[in-house]
Amino acid sequence: MISLAQMAMAAGFILILIGFYGALTQRNLLRMIVAFTIADTGVNIVLVAVGHMRGRTAPILDVAVPAADAVARVIDPVPQALVLTAIVIGLGVTALMLAYALKLHARKHTLDIAKMTELKW
Amino acid sequence: MVSALHIITAALAAAFLMGLLKEQQRGLAFGITLVTLAFMSWISAGWLWTFASTDTAAVEIFTAGTQPPFAINLRIGLAEAALTLLINLTGLFSALALKDTLLALGRRAMAVWLVAVMALSGIVLTRDLFNLFVFFEMTVIATAGLVLLSEHSKNDGQALAAGFKYLVVSQFISAFLLIGIIFAYHTTGTLNIDGMAAAAPLLSGSAAQAFSLAFFLIFIAIVAELKPFPANGWALDIYESAHPAFSALFSAATGAAALFAVDKLLLIGGDAWLPMATGIGIITFIAANLLALPQTNDRRLLGYSSIAQTGLILAVLGQRDILGDHTLYIAGGLLLSHAVAKAGLFWLSGLIAERGLEAWAALRGHPVLIFAFVSFICMLTGLPPFPGFYAKWELIHLLAGEGRIALLGLILLGALIEAGYLFRWFGYIMKREAPAEVVDNAAHKVVAVIAALAAAWALSLVWGELSVLQFERGNLLLALPLLFALTFLALDPLPAWLKNTLAIAGLLAWFYLTYTEYDPLRMIFAVIFLIGGSLTLLASYHAHGQRSGFYPSAMLMFAGLAMLIRATDTFDFFVAWELLTVGSYFLILRGKHSEPHALSYILFSLGGAFLILAGFALATQGAPHFDLSALADLVQPLAPWVFLLLAIGFMTKTAAIGLHIWLPGAHAEAETDVSPMVSGILLKAGLYGLIVLLLTMGRQDFYGVELINVMLWIGAITALIGNLLAIFQEDAKRLLAYSSIGQMGYAMFGLALMNHLGWLMALMFVINHYVYKSMLFLSIGGVAKRTGTREMYRMGGLITLMPLSFIATLIGIIAVSGVPPLSGFGGRWIFYNAILTAEARLPMVIIFLAGPIAFLYLFRLIYTIFLGQLKDEFRRVKEAPFWIVLPQMIYVAILLVVAVVPGLVLRHVDSYLNAFFPNGGLVWEGSTITSQFGYWNPVAIMIIVGVIFMTLFAWLLFVNRRAQKVKQFNIVFSAERPFRPETTHFAWNFFAPYRKALGFLTLPLATMFWSTVTDLLHTAGDLARRFYTGNGQTYAFHLLAFVMIVYLFGMGVRP
Amino acid sequence: MVAPISTLTTRQTTRQTHMIKRAIALLLLFAVGTLFASLLLGYVPDSELNHTARYYAERTAGDVGAANIVTAIVVTYRGLDTLGEVTVLFISAAIVGLVLAQDRLPSDAPRQPRVPVSELLSTGSRALTPLILLLGVYVFVNGHLTPGGGFQGGAIVASGMLLLLLADPLKQFSHQLISVLESLSGLLFVGIGVLGVLLAGGFLDNRLLPIGTLGELFSAGVIPVIYSLIGLKVGAEFSSMLASLSETEET
Repeated sequence: MISLAQMAMAAGFILILIGFYGALTQRNLLRMIVAFTIADTGVNIVLVAVGHMRGRTAPILDVAVPAADAVARVIDPVPQALVLTAIVIGLGVTALMLAYALKLHARKHTLDIAKMTELKW
Repeated sequence: MVSALHIITAALAAAFLMGLLKEQQRGLAFGITLVTLAFMSWISAGWLWTFASTDTAAVEIFTAGTQPPFAINLRIGLAEAALTLLINLTGLFSALALKDTLLALGRRAMAVWLVAVMALSGIVLTRDLFNLFVFFEMTVIATAGLVLLSEHSKNDGQALAAGFKYLVVSQFISAFLLIGIIFAYHTTGTLNIDGMAAAAPLLSGSAAQAFSLAFFLIFIAIVAELKPFPANGWALDIYESAHPAFSALFSAATGAAALFAVDKLLLIGGDAWLPMATGIGIITFIAANLLALPQTNDRRLLGYSSIAQTGLILAVLGQRDILGDHTLYIAGGLLLSHAVAKAGLFWLSGLIAERGLEAWAALRGHPVLIFAFVSFICMLTGLPPFPGFYAKWELIHLLAGEGRIALLGLILLGALIEAGYLFRWFGYIMKREAPAEVVDNAAHKVVAVIAALAAAWALSLVWGELSVLQFERGNLLLALPLLFALTFLALDPLPAWLKNTLAIAGLLAWFYLTYTEYDPLRMIFAVIFLIGGSLTLLASYHAHGQRSGFYPSAMLMFAGLAMLIRATDTFDFFVAWELLTVGSYFLILRGKHSEPHALSYILFSLGGAFLILAGFALATQGAPHFDLSALADLVQPLAPWVFLLLAIGFMTKTAAIGLHIWLPGAHAEAETDVSPMVSGILLKAGLYGLIVLLLTMGRQDFYGVELINVMLWIGAITALIGNLLAIFQEDAKRLLAYSSIGQMGYAMFGLALMNHLGWLMALMFVINHYVYKSMLFLSIGGVAKRTGTREMYRMGGLITLMPLSFIATLIGIIAVSGVPPLSGFGGRWIFYNAILTAEARLPMVIIFLAGPIAFLYLFRLIYTIFLGQLKDEFRRVKEAPFWIVLPQMIYVAILLVVAVVPGLVLRHVDSYLNAFFPNGGLVWEGSTITSQFGYWNPVAIMIIVGVIFMTLFAWLLFVNRRAQKVKQFNIVFSAERPFRPETTHFAWNFFAPYRKALGFLTLPLATMFWSTVTDLLHTAGDLARRFYTGNGQTYAFHLLAFVMIVYLFGMGVRP
Repeated sequence: MVAPISTLTTRQTTRQTHMIKRAIALLLLFAVGTLFASLLLGYVPDSELNHTARYYAERTAGDVGAANIVTAIVVTYRGLDTLGEVTVLFISAAIVGLVLAQDRLPSDAPRQPRVPVSELLSTGSRALTPLILLLGVYVFVNGHLTPGGGFQGGAIVASGMLLLLLADPLKQFSHQLISVLESLSGLLFVGIGVLGVLLAGGFLDNRLLPIGTLGELFSAGVIPVIYSLIGLKVGAEFSSMLASLSETEET
């Protein structure tokens, strides 16, 4: 039987592929950036999905999950910690790409990546 | 000791502090940046000192008060300390070079700079996989931002586009990296690198498979940061558009950090992943070097070279299974060489206004910067005494020991291509017209270059010491001859005559110190190299002024020669070989029009040297030391291969036919006093190599072919073709140069006879060729100097104006042509005796044929230059300068003495040769020398010839006693001036009939062959680079395709 | 007649190259997809926590004192990552500022909003912004107890700023204030980390302060302090990026 984690993971991978496809075929810088955001989301979903465990709960200790039986009750907290970092870094890169797109548009009056090929060979 | 953690905290604190400063306090911000970078360097340096001086184990740095793998830990050991020092110092000096830009852009740019340097150190220090990812992302973002530093001055949007392309590619990379990391974590239950390395081998079944997929993604993502071919278009755009000071950091520090990250990964993956690293690395090395060939933009070229070097080091890391404990020494030597040289070159690029390679000719007025450039390219090419040389030597030997011959060959091929474009560039610098823009020698920018220069030599010293410690070899920088040569760098501002005196004194002193060590055979070479060298140097007294750069080059060559004959093991021999090659290259390049010829000289020489290296490595088979004499113990199937490699290597230096095309230009275009050095002296190094080879290895059977017979044929054909080519030259110095090819052919033929007389004759040739070729080059050089031309038909009738030069030439050609009474005849006599004792009849015929041909070109030399009609424009020509004539007269004296008493030298050699060829020696009785075919009495011959000559001369005078003297220039003639006046001159195309008959033999087949090879390489490079379209999306395609191809091939062949 | 034909063919070639490009992209992504698929098929969910996760589940309460185990990992165990993360945001903001700095309009230049802002938005933003800021602060202060933390809180704070900008596109933020806030919180973060080396078990050790009782606001040592600093810093960085981007907007 397919678990929730596997479904989420599959969805994540599909998002990554969709994002990659967009980034490879869209020539408009902004569309490429959007495509990358989709791919990033996919990556993050995969990250979270890997840590998921059936029938367990979030790794927060409270009345429902006392510290003593946390080992048996919570899911793996590490991917959750990692995904936080990944999200933030992805966001930094996206912001940077947007700024570049803005500036490139101001400089070249186009957003077509195929027209930014002065440097080559 | 300050914890290495503070490399990170100090940078972060300083970066965050920037926000508290006012936007206007830029000077203060810059000061803080520099102090912080210096502090970071100081921490690394402290650790490096600790690890280097004591036997301390690597130190772990824990965070969060928790042990790994539950919290992130850092580690600093010897490698980490060295790398972080490299990174931080590069950061520091690049910041200095960037001063103007950073001040203009303000505190934010400085904060990004600090973070960039810190992140690179973080990559090196961290032992946590995800933490590695964080530092990598930090580097990516900082890089994308710092590319824009150049935008400040250029403002053309190129850097912006390059930065965007980089971000596009890095998005793909980070997606792969993250997915790989999370799955690797899932299968091993840890993010700690060491923990993962311990856990991975324990996995089995589907978990092992899942892990290897995950690891593949991590590995390929990090490798992609190394800019592997072909997924590296983005990197080149960055190199081309970024500020050079940033490129220095990007090339030296980022490359080093990423390589170290790959090294850590290989620890996890284990030996199974090594072939993949090697494959990617070596393909990148070859491809990037090939693509660099057609580049004209200096920064893009340096970018390609950076990528190539990184590829090489990746390939070396992939060989760690056989390199073992030496990996650090070898990979470290290559890495530091690359980093220091590349940083230095990028910093230099910041001083040059324009981007063309020729624009670097602006450096010419700055000896220190030229020295820096030379040091950097020698470092990159792996020449002694730089660390790359030691590394290359050990690497090639270990590869050969394990039979990884294909990789060995590819590495040497790539290195040769790299040397090609680097030395071509140096040629441009020395010879092309300097641009109007001068070098920007702002102190803060030059300091960085000087720092790299100092680091280059300091590293050489360190690697030499390590080589003493680890391999018990010598530290080259402490070798007396080399030190002596390098001293002349410091003495460069002194006047030439003083340096010349020192140089001569040095050569003679070295001879005095060492002469007891030489056996008679080596003594001949020692005398030619050292005494002969100082004789030739007498001619250099004619130069006035400072003659900048001449003495370091010349003495480097002589140092190599001096070390060559003392070398007993392969290492020392090869070091000496490389030194004399490089030194002579610099010497040859000094000629006015020698740029292309010097290039082809260094390429052929390095190619030959690489073959020798490969030969030695094959012979050594992993042994730590290998005496030259042990070559004799080699057996089939190895021995003939070693013989072949070494023989071709040495024949490159003697310009055997097919490998000869570098010689005419190099010898003819050299300066007047350099031609005798490189012809009369340097060529003997190749013969010396052949002698060592034949003495030890002798006859070798290569798949049924007796190699010595092949050499015999090559010698004969070289003699014939060399001489034939010589007779059709119009240029007197080229004529002499071609004649050298022929002469070396004779000597090779003699050696290849492998009998007593053959060798005696070859050694006789060694001596004779030194004397008369030096003399002829000097006298012809003197004539060329006075007349301003080397075309023989432009001269004529100079006998009365330059009588001493005439006498030298006359004696010289009598000696060369081997007619009685001079020493040349002795050579011939022994030679014919030698031939009669050998079985090879057909090559013998060829060699006989070559004799008279030699006479043709020699005759032309004297006839068209000194005899015939004097030209109007040369009526006031004076005798050559005293210092050029003096050595010629000494040579004349030597020739006469040797002609009368050849036994002076030959007797000792003859008896020495008995040890190797006991039969067929000569019998020396008084002044008579007897062979089995007859006897030769030089004194008697001299007297007979003298009597005949005097009689004829007297008769001639008597017959012509009433001849009327006519002045030459009182003839009036009128006619139309022909379209090409020289065609009407008798001395032009002097041997036209022979050309008709034999011209087919002189078709430039070899030249055509080699130029086709280079053209093909260029075309391949030029076509392949079209692949980098400049479109960021295409680069993303390249990356994905690269990942997938490696996946399909790499994972397919993995177990 | 010639011109239209040539344009036609050019268009056709462009379309063709585009088709080829898509085909190659699909081909490559198919290969990537198979790689992903084998990862997916080889994935076996854990039934037990692995030893790293088990350590965190068992020891967090006692060693770190944070109820939210993820927070304990983010701020303490993997605190170096988080410091790096903050640094990534910091340099992103700095570079965005650098990139856009040259195009920024002089602050006294007259700027006209293209579309007048609706009454609803401007009134709503005034009412909502304080609440949003409060929520943000709540989220990062309670990061060690509940889902949430510095990044989430910071993002919420910045979204308040975004709302203000939407309501009044011409609004000027004080860059100096933002940068001082950003710098101070960053410096304190690093400072606390180094204090951990000097006074506790290592860099970013949270036991500088007593770890208190599990589940209380003042517990988990310096985690709430660090997370608040992160919240402030992230908020400031996002705001600075937003401000830079909005000020570059073409008029």
